[in-house]
Formats: sequence, C-alpha cells, structure tokens
Amino acid sequence: MSLVFQSLVLGVLLGGLYALLAAGLTLYFGVMRVVMIAHSAFLILAAYLAWFFNRETGIDPLVSLLFTVPIFFVLGVTMQRTLLSRLRPATLTMMSVLLTFSVALVIEGMLGFVFSGTQRRIRLPYGGDSLELFGANIPVVKLIAFGMAAVSLLALYLILKKTPFGQALRATIQHPEAARLIGINTERIAGYGFGLGLATAAIGGTALSLDSTIYPSLHWHWIGPLMAIIVVGGLGSVPGAAIAALVLGLGQSLLQIPMGTTWAQTIFYVALFATLMVRPQGFFGGRLAQRF
Amino acid sequence: MPSASSSATPAATAAPRGGLALKLVGLVVLAAAVLSFPSMAPNAFILSVGVVIMSYAVLATSWNFVGGFTGYISLGHASYSGLGGYGTALLVIHTDINPWIALLLGGLGVAVLAVPIGIASLRVRGASFVIVSIALVLILLLVFQSWSSVTGGSNGLRVPRPFGTDVLRPEQHERFFYIHAALLAVALLCWWLIDRSRFGMGLKAIREDEDKAQSLGVPTFNYKLTAFVVSAFFTALGGGLYALWFGFLDPIFQFSILVGSYMVLMSLLGGIRSLFGPLLGAVIVGYALEYFKNAYGDTQFHLVALGLLLALVVLFMPDGIIPAVTAGIQRLPRQAASIREESAAELAEQRARKHAASDVPPDERTGKDATNISAHIQPENADETQGARS
Repeated sequence: MSLVFQSLVLGVLLGGLYALLAAGLTLYFGVMRVVMIAHSAFLILAAYLAWFFNRETGIDPLVSLLFTVPIFFVLGVTMQRTLLSRLRPATLTMMSVLLTFSVALVIEGMLGFVFSGTQRRIRLPYGGDSLELFGANIPVVKLIAFGMAAVSLLALYLILKKTPFGQALRATIQHPEAARLIGINTERIAGYGFGLGLATAAIGGTALSLDSTIYPSLHWHWIGPLMAIIVVGGLGSVPGAAIAALVLGLGQSLLQIPMGTTWAQTIFYVALFATLMVRPQGFFGGRLAQRF
Repeated sequence: MPSASSSATPAATAAPRGGLALKLVGLVVLAAAVLSFPSMAPNAFILSVGVVIMSYAVLATSWNFVGGFTGYISLGHASYSGLGGYGTALLVIHTDINPWIALLLGGLGVAVLAVPIGIASLRVRGASFVIVSIALVLILLLVFQSWSSVTGGSNGLRVPRPFGTDVLRPEQHERFFYIHAALLAVALLCWWLIDRSRFGMGLKAIREDEDKAQSLGVPTFNYKLTAFVVSAFFTALGGGLYALWFGFLDPIFQFSILVGSYMVLMSLLGGIRSLFGPLLGAVIVGYALEYFKNAYGDTQFHLVALGLLLALVVLFMPDGIIPAVTAGIQRLPRQAASIREESAAELAEQRARKHAASDVPPDERTGKDATNISAHIQPENADETQGARS
C-alpha cells in the first residue's frame, strides 16, 4: 500500500516537471505552429550548464538559473527571428520540424564533442536526503524540482493572464490576423513567446540535473513522452498539456510497479496512438489542433 | 522573368523528342556507372561503402513515396527498415525458408503492419504525423531492446548469410551491390509509374493543398494510406536486404531516428519532387557520412555536420539540387511543358511579389494567405501568372 502511495506521490512530482516542459512546447506551437523537436535538447543543454557551473564553482546548481534563464530567453528570441521566421509559410509546419531537429542534432553533437559522452551527475550535499510523508519516502531533490516546476507554471500562468504582453500573446495564439488588425506586432510577440518557451527548458533542465544522470543523447528519452503529452492534451492548449502531463506522469509512475521502468514508458506511446484513433485533435484541443 | 515566355515558342516542337533522347542517354550512362562501379572499386572497403550508399539510396527512394508525393515528412522511417530487417532475420533464423523469400515476406509483413499505423497517423496533418513517426521509432527501440528472448536485445542478433561460406567478402559485397541496385531500379520504376498516373496526380494535389484536393473529389485518405504502405514496403525490403548483407542487427542502430533523418536529408537535398533526387542525395550524404565517420572517428562531430547540413538545406534549398539545376537550364531559351508543376509555396511567393509591385500590402506570413482565393480570380493577374510560369 505504501508502495502505491509512494508511486502516486512520485508520479505527481514527475508529472509537474512534464507539465512545465510540455507547456513550453505548447507555447511554441501556439505562437508559430511549430513543433519544436529541439526542446528536450535545450533541456539537456541546460542540465549540462548546471552541472558545469556546479563543477567549476562548487555553488549550488540552482544558482545557474540566474544565467541560463535569460540566456535561453534570448536564444529563443534569436532562434525565432533568425531561423524559423525565414521558412516559407506554406511549408512552415513540416520544415520547422526538420529545422528544429537539426538544431537538436547540433546541440547533441556539440555536447558530446565538448563534454564527451560520459555520463555526468551532480553530487549534492542534500542529494540523498529524503522526507518521510505518511509512510512514503520523498527525495528532497524531487520535491525541489517539483517546486521549481510549480512556481514556473504559476508564473507562466500569471504572465499569460494578467500582463498586457500575455494578452497579446494569447491573442496571437488565438487568431494571428485579428491580432495584427488590432495593432499587435505578432512577429515580435511570437519571438518573445519562443523565448518564454525556451526559458521553461532552462528551468526544467536545471531541475532535471538535480537528481538524474545526464548524457548527450538523453534528450531522445524526453522528446517522445513530451510529444505524446502535447498530442494527448491537444496541440496548442496549455491547460490540456498540463493535465495530460500529470495524468501520464502518474500513470507511468504507477505502472512501474508491475511492469518495470522500461515497459512503463510505453504508456506515453499507447496513449498517443489511442488518442489519435479516438480523438485526433486531442482531449483539450479545440478547432486549432485539428488542422495540424 | 515574363520576357522569357515570348521568345520560347519556336523550339516547342523540337524539345520533347530531344528531351527524351537526352533522358535515355542519361539513364544509360547512370545504369552503366552503377553497374561498372564494383569492377572499378579499388578495394573491398570502397566496395562496401558503395553498398552502404546503395542501401541509403534504396531507403531514401522508398521514403520519397510518402515524402515526395504527399509532402508528409516522416522522421521515423527507420521503424520500417528496422522491422523489415528483424522480420527477415527472424524468419531466416527460425524457419528454413529461402532467405530471399524471407526478405519478401518480411516486406509484406511490414506493409500489413503499416496499415493500422497509417490509419492512426494519417488522420492528422503535418505536425502530429511527424510526432507519431518519431514516437514509433522510440517505442520500437524500447520493445526490441527489452524483448531480448526474441530479438536478442542489446546484444544484437546475428543473421546467417544467404550465400555460402565459400563466397568471399569482396564477392559478397559485389553481389549485394547488384541486388541493391536491382531493388533500387524497381523502386524508381514504381515511383516513375505513380508519378505519371492519375493516382500520383491526386497525391501531388494533396501535397500542395489537401483541402482543395479533397474538395475536388480526391479520396485523400485512401491515397495517402496507399502511398504510405507502398513506402513502408520498399523501406522494409531495403532494411531486410541490409540485414542480410551486414549480418548483424542492433536495436540502437536499426531503430534510430538518425537513420530516418538520413532518408529525409538525402531526399530533400536531391529534391523530393524529382525521380532521381533521393539517389543523388544518398550519394552525396552517404559519402559525406562515411567521410566524417572516418575523419572524426568516435566523436559526436558527425552529428554536428549532419545537423548543419540539414539546417542549410531546409533554410536555403528546400526544393533540392535537381530542381535548382533544372530551373537554371530552363532559363535558357527553350520551351518547357505546357503544364508545369508548381508548389503552393512558389505560387504564394509569386503572388506576394505581385501584390508588392502593385502597391497592395504584401500577404502576411501565414499559411492561410497562400490559398487566398481572391488572388486566383483577379482577371488582370491571370495573364501575368501565365507569363511567370512559362
């Protein structure tokens, strides 16, 4: 019983991280209709930067967020302005997949080239600590990661709902032409939206570096589940992505008990295929998702 | 640009026959080059590189059945080549049927399997299709690594060779080179036949504008599915042939997104709308890959090179080498066919240019405006478009 409870708690903690990363992917798709394959590569890049920062300075890897988040934001804006906006509109969706895929390859290759393919792990003084909660053992690092994800998601929500920028961003997502008609510079907003998405990868990567072993090709293990989440949630829907992330994260964690870690991962793909068979636009996607 | 059309008419009657002869000569030269390669190769290593490039050419051409005709870009075609390889290998190991029949059965099995996969993934457009194709490779990698009692897991699977032990290594390479070339010829022939058929017309209509194609009565879903299954079949044959040649299968290399992306890169580089585009791309990229692996060894640098090349092609040459070269040749005063193939993207660009010229604000950068109907029926635009086309 306590095993199930423990899995439940761990599943929620994992789902939180998935939700943050899937929210980033949803943002890209919303503002540009772009499927960003390189998202998880940036995630691993951020994890490597956190590890490198910790190795060089000995300071807690969380501090590296101070640099990585602004850097990733600028990178995202640059990437949107210089690469993705160059693509021809008629073939944007397909070509953007290939372009971001090539970005992912370059990042993976450079990580392997600079840091070698060796598996890396941050040694933290509190790395082995855990919290006893109703008979479940919760590692502190996972709690921190979840806390970071929750805070970032909340901040993202507030930015989108309460600020003028967020309003413009949502208008751009809902109807770009109408947004332009009322005077929103959708090109610039799309760039900022991209930056915001990449900033979530910086936070997620730092959170990931706290409790997992990282290596350059790790991003392939993340992109599949994340892609499955945004399709199940409905492309372009942030709440849909968050709910799908929590449900599937929980499912993965619970299935690990009877099936083991490897086979439990298949839940994402099963859910993906089931969604496409039953409801191709995803469970929370509206009119937008069906077209892509 | 429009001035070319007026001077081009006199050559109209001579062009088709001359073009045909030129094409035939080109085909004969190409076939001769391919067939004489094994005897010209200085050593067995070069010959084996030739087999690898041939294998890539088969896979890229097979990929192009779905990528080139329908415009649905699959990054996960390694699933079909991998399944074909494993299917053939398992049949050869566990039954004592002829390896070539096993190869064919493997291909047919994958084609059958591709039907439900196609039904699931072709229900949605573009983005989701790519996601499914990637997910399929990842799931197959998981399954084939974990299910070690059947697939040998991460230890790999040794495939018995179809030729006896008395056939030496270089001889093996030579034979497989010719078999690959034969398979490539069959795939190219099928592509060519589809390209000229009504079915191919429908597929190309889907590529340019699926909604319009559907409204014109093209059974889009069935067409897409058929092209998808044909593509999976040939890809599986290519994978199975590779398994028989290489004699060893490892899930990491069989179900790798990289292999799928090679196919995409090769086809795009050569030109997905051209018959020989994937072949040309396979020769260039295949050679480059072997070169990088040799020059930089085990480092991950070949990934960087591959990524940069793919980005350059996508950004600056999305139509590929062959269309770029033929467009250059057609600048010469010579009449092209009366109906040229033009992509929706090109039309949108022409229209935007014309709008800019006539002081109307240019079309905004969204896909929707590319299909703006009003631009089609404006009478004064009609002749201009005609002029720009020829």
